[in-house]
Amino acid sequence: MPEIVVDNLTHTFGKGGAEALTVLEGINLTFENGSFTSIVGTSGCGKSTLLKMMAGLFDPSDGEMRLDGEVISGTDRRRGMVFQQDAVFPWMTVAKNISYGPRLRGASNSEQREIEAKWTEMVGLKGFEDRWPRELSGGMRKRVDIGRVYANDPDVLLMDEPFGALDAQTKERMQTDLLEAWQQSRKTVIFVTHDLEEAIFLSDRVVVMSARPGRIQHIENVDLPRPRKDEMRLTDEFIQIKRRLWGMLDH
Amino acid sequence: MNALPKFLTGRLFLGALSIGAVLLAYTAVTSQPDNNPALLPPIPHIIGSFFTNLSAGTLLDALWASLYRILLGFFIGTSLAVVVGCLVGWYKTVEFLVDPLIEAIRPIPPLAYIPIIIIWFGIEEFSRVLLISIACFMVCVVNVIAGMKNVPQVYVDAASTMGASRFQVFRTVAIPAATPFIITGYRIALAAAWTTLVAAELIAAPSGLGFMLQEGRRYFLTDQVMMIIVIIGACAFIMDRTFRAIQKRLMIWSETRE
Ligand SMILES: Nc1ncnc2c1ncn2[C@@H]1O[C@H](COP(=O)(O)OP(=O)(O)O)[C@@H](O)[C@H]1O
Ligand SMILES: [Mg+2]
Repeated sequence: MPEIVVDNLTHTFGKGGAEALTVLEGINLTFENGSFTSIVGTSGCGKSTLLKMMAGLFDPSDGEMRLDGEVISGTDRRRGMVFQQDAVFPWMTVAKNISYGPRLRGASNSEQREIEAKWTEMVGLKGFEDRWPRELSGGMRKRVDIGRVYANDPDVLLMDEPFGALDAQTKERMQTDLLEAWQQSRKTVIFVTHDLEEAIFLSDRVVVMSARPGRIQHIENVDLPRPRKDEMRLTDEFIQIKRRLWGMLDH
Repeated sequence: MNALPKFLTGRLFLGALSIGAVLLAYTAVTSQPDNNPALLPPIPHIIGSFFTNLSAGTLLDALWASLYRILLGFFIGTSLAVVVGCLVGWYKTVEFLVDPLIEAIRPIPPLAYIPIIIIWFGIEEFSRVLLISIACFMVCVVNVIAGMKNVPQVYVDAASTMGASRFQVFRTVAIPAATPFIITGYRIALAAAWTTLVAAELIAAPSGLGFMLQEGRRYFLTDQVMMIIVIIGACAFIMDRTFRAIQKRLMIWSETRE
């Protein structure tokens, strides 16, 4: 059953004004339940804008999005988002960040402890529960961010270049971890990146966008077997896909 | 600098050095044979005035009278500032309604209200506390509003997408994110409270440190004037330090803790 439908969506910032900027135009996409889709495109083509609208942070100027047939408007914990920027609350310890969502809904202390223990372990931060975010590296903070969204148990996971600021090694390890977690939970993931290799490695499907205004240029189905192994990045099939998509991006 | 022993470049030593130098220079000037002690009282006179007033009880009475006004005015002013500032900074409708008013009143120095307050409420305790409250409110509210407006959007968005209601975002994100600004507001308000207190007591008070200053001027008790100035400086300093300690504790999560 199709889960999320983006239906003829167009977005113009400052619509009607002198500096109106059409960022997205005529976007049609369907995200199957439990699928992993990446969206790639040069920076400024409207990827973050699209994701934020799917999160419900603001409404598109035209067209609509539906989750299970229900029009998306406003935020909802069923649609969790990992932001491009660092969004870990600096005034909460790692553990308190992780259990933030459940605490909002009145989880008991023991439930919170349980969730904290489970997800700090899952994102590899066991032993750092009582640290302040300022004491962590950028990569560790991103883990807190991801763990916090996971602990909130959304149905749909919107991820905006989550590994963009990390070094190559950390990035590859976090990609593998993410796939593992996804394999277990089978949430619908929509993953924005400008890194082609990352997109191919992770996804069932790669959506290529063109810029100014952002349109969908191509959709590539990635049939590489799962579970994906790091060595696959070097196979002919992988590189062929990469080469094909690379030619499509605006350079 | 590297060649000097560490304690010679430390904060404590250098601070003591500069204060000591000033005291020494003052002593040198006042011990000149042609010095007029009624204009520049020697340090022993100032210390003598301290003990005289201490044993007479006048100093402590004045100190309590002033501290009571400061603390009450400060508490009322800053409490109101936090409530109003949060509402103005967080809710657009309230902002549009109240912000022009605050902006219009803000440039007026609180001391300008002294005549009207005296006309309306007389030379009463209430008037003095009111004046200090106004002064504290005005400087503090601006900081609280700024704090609310500077809450990084990404924190608000993150909380919302995790299912936080508007009020939950306010409580769990906006307030903590704005704490650095709010605490700064409190510290500036404390300084404003002292300024206003002394001015108010100089003009219209039967008691307090400002009153003792005025009394000293009237009867040419320069040593008393000097002594009170030092007392005010010491009190303000201690209170600010206390605040800094609280700030450090509350802001333990922050990267810049000063
Ligand atoms: N709130 C906004 N108001 C006006 N323009 C915006 C706003 N947010 C983004 N933009 C513009 O929209 C375009 C797309 O931005 P964004 O979605 O962040 O791109 P991407 O994530 O693909 O790099 C950019 O040109 C950006 O300047
Ligand atoms: Mg972006």
